[in-house]
Amino acid sequence: MAAPVILARALEKRFGEVRAVAGLDLTVPAGICLGLLGPNGAGKTTTLRMIMGLTLPSGGRLEVLGRPPTALSRTERRRIGLVPQDSNLDPDLSVVQNLLVYGGYFGLPAAALRRRVPELLAFMQLTEKAGARVSQLSGGMKRRLVIARALIAEPELVILDEPTTGLDPQARLLIWRQLLQLRAQGKTLLLTTHYMDEAQRLCDRIVLIDGGRILAQGSPAELIARHVHGHVVEVTKPVPPALTGNGLAHEDVGDAMLFYVAAPGAVIDRLPPEAVYLHRPANLEDVFLRLTGRKLREG
Amino acid sequence: MHGVALTAAGAVWRRQYLVWRKLIWSSLATNVCNPLLFLFAFAFGLGAVMAEQEGIAYLAFVVPGMMAYTSMFVASFETTVSAFARYSLQRTWDATLATSVTLEELLLGEALWAASKAMLSALCVLLVGGLWGGIPSWAGAVAALPILFGAALGFAAQGLLCTAFARGFDNFSYFFTFWTTPMFVFSGVFFSLDRFPESLAAAAWLLPMPHLLALVRPLTTGAGLEPLAAAGHGLVLLLYFVIPFAAATARIRRRMFD
Ligand SMILES: Nc1ncnc2c1ncn2[C@@H]1O[C@H](COP(=O)(O)OP(=O)(O)OP(=O)(O)O)[C@@H](O)[C@H]1O
Ligand SMILES: [Mg+2]
Repeated sequence: MAAPVILARALEKRFGEVRAVAGLDLTVPAGICLGLLGPNGAGKTTTLRMIMGLTLPSGGRLEVLGRPPTALSRTERRRIGLVPQDSNLDPDLSVVQNLLVYGGYFGLPAAALRRRVPELLAFMQLTEKAGARVSQLSGGMKRRLVIARALIAEPELVILDEPTTGLDPQARLLIWRQLLQLRAQGKTLLLTTHYMDEAQRLCDRIVLIDGGRILAQGSPAELIARHVHGHVVEVTKPVPPALTGNGLAHEDVGDAMLFYVAAPGAVIDRLPPEAVYLHRPANLEDVFLRLTGRKLREG
Repeated sequence: MHGVALTAAGAVWRRQYLVWRKLIWSSLATNVCNPLLFLFAFAFGLGAVMAEQEGIAYLAFVVPGMMAYTSMFVASFETTVSAFARYSLQRTWDATLATSVTLEELLLGEALWAASKAMLSALCVLLVGGLWGGIPSWAGAVAALPILFGAALGFAAQGLLCTAFARGFDNFSYFFTFWTTPMFVFSGVFFSLDRFPESLAAAAWLLPMPHLLALVRPLTTGAGLEPLAAAGHGLVLLLYFVIPFAAATARIRRRMFD
């Protein structure tokens, strides 16, 4: 098997007393899209920043393209593109200038940039905005530009920290399509998102973290089968005691009880006729909520 | 690591240049008009009462002084208030460091840009002051330009060091009050150091500005430099670049990466 693009072992990051990342083992093979999921403050951005060499680990081992991120050479850094959580574009410069300047940071020759910039603008549907100032773009256009910027040096590893947060369905759809196209080109994608439908649609593999540690990992289908058994039956209280006593996976969510079952009949057939319930296929959101809890994370 | 590539620092410089070009009118207003206003005020106002300084006609004394002052002010403003905005508000530094550019290259690019802007201001003062009759030796003035550029790199580095510790924009008022202002009023910019009590004059030599003036003024007036003393002043200016630059880089590295 080829060497993984990213390899982390017992990776750790402390900010004073806070252990933002607390012993993470992560292996990202080439060519897959891996989703790093977790609630606010789980340590996703910190992990991505360590991979980018923008934050130094406090412990453990981390290799990107076979080397510690800070040891990567100038040309090796071209092989990694970052879409940061906060779009840090140059507001005073135009769309094209943002791309040219960024290409300059990678040391790309002017001739290569002249070819590459129009390609990227077309890819992210920004051609009409080529001359516009960034401060005049909508949120969705800015996000698309940040993605285009990350692709300027044709990286083989693209790291995206919440690429679609705050975007409308059309913009998200476009970004999804382009990310799938990148994956089809054989690029490795590492992304974080709070949208479970996005993760389910884009990611070959999911790593779910909380408190800087891994809670679960696998393909979306595996995770759903393993942790929420494929089906959810939501039964409004009162719930017959027989149901909760017989070993079915369930969770109390206040005025209702959720049952996670492989076959919905296991619950529905045992309900009295007057019971109010809702049955649906389980999804990644159920896995997420089940494993990370339903309490709000305070900042 | 991989050494410092001037091309990478140049890419940072170019970014600043493109932004500057977009905002050119406000930039020119501050960086060109400001020193010229001072020049007119001193030349007309003080010139009337202070006939000669160190045996030099006042205009010929104050023009190189204003060239040095504006180099300092423009360079250190660029790497304090402006650079801090790029670092903390616009997150430009974060964006830059996610590429092939290293922190040293980023900061060197910042310093080179600050010094370039400083040169533009100094050139305007030179041109206006020279046409007015304040530059007895044009050849000397041309020779003074690289010295001003080098000193401006130093002023930029001193500003970066302040930025490295700054928590907010108000922190820079200390820098301007206790660092740049003394170099304006106590360092021989618009009147000679020998007007001060000896102890104060001696203390002023701890600052980089008197050393810069000791190089620039003899050149623009045509008096010429004494090699050994000039080398000494040059060394002081060099240290005033190297030490703050290294300290600023170390501090910013800890702040951004730890
Ligand atoms: N520079 C920093 N200094 C101190 N603490 C930090 C710093 N960066 C992150 N943290 C802390 O580390 C923890 C993880 O933060 P991180 O940004 O990695 O979370 P995240 O999973 O990306 O969250 P979100 O989904 O909200 O973006 C949080 O407790 C956060 O407060
Ligand atoms: Mg985050």
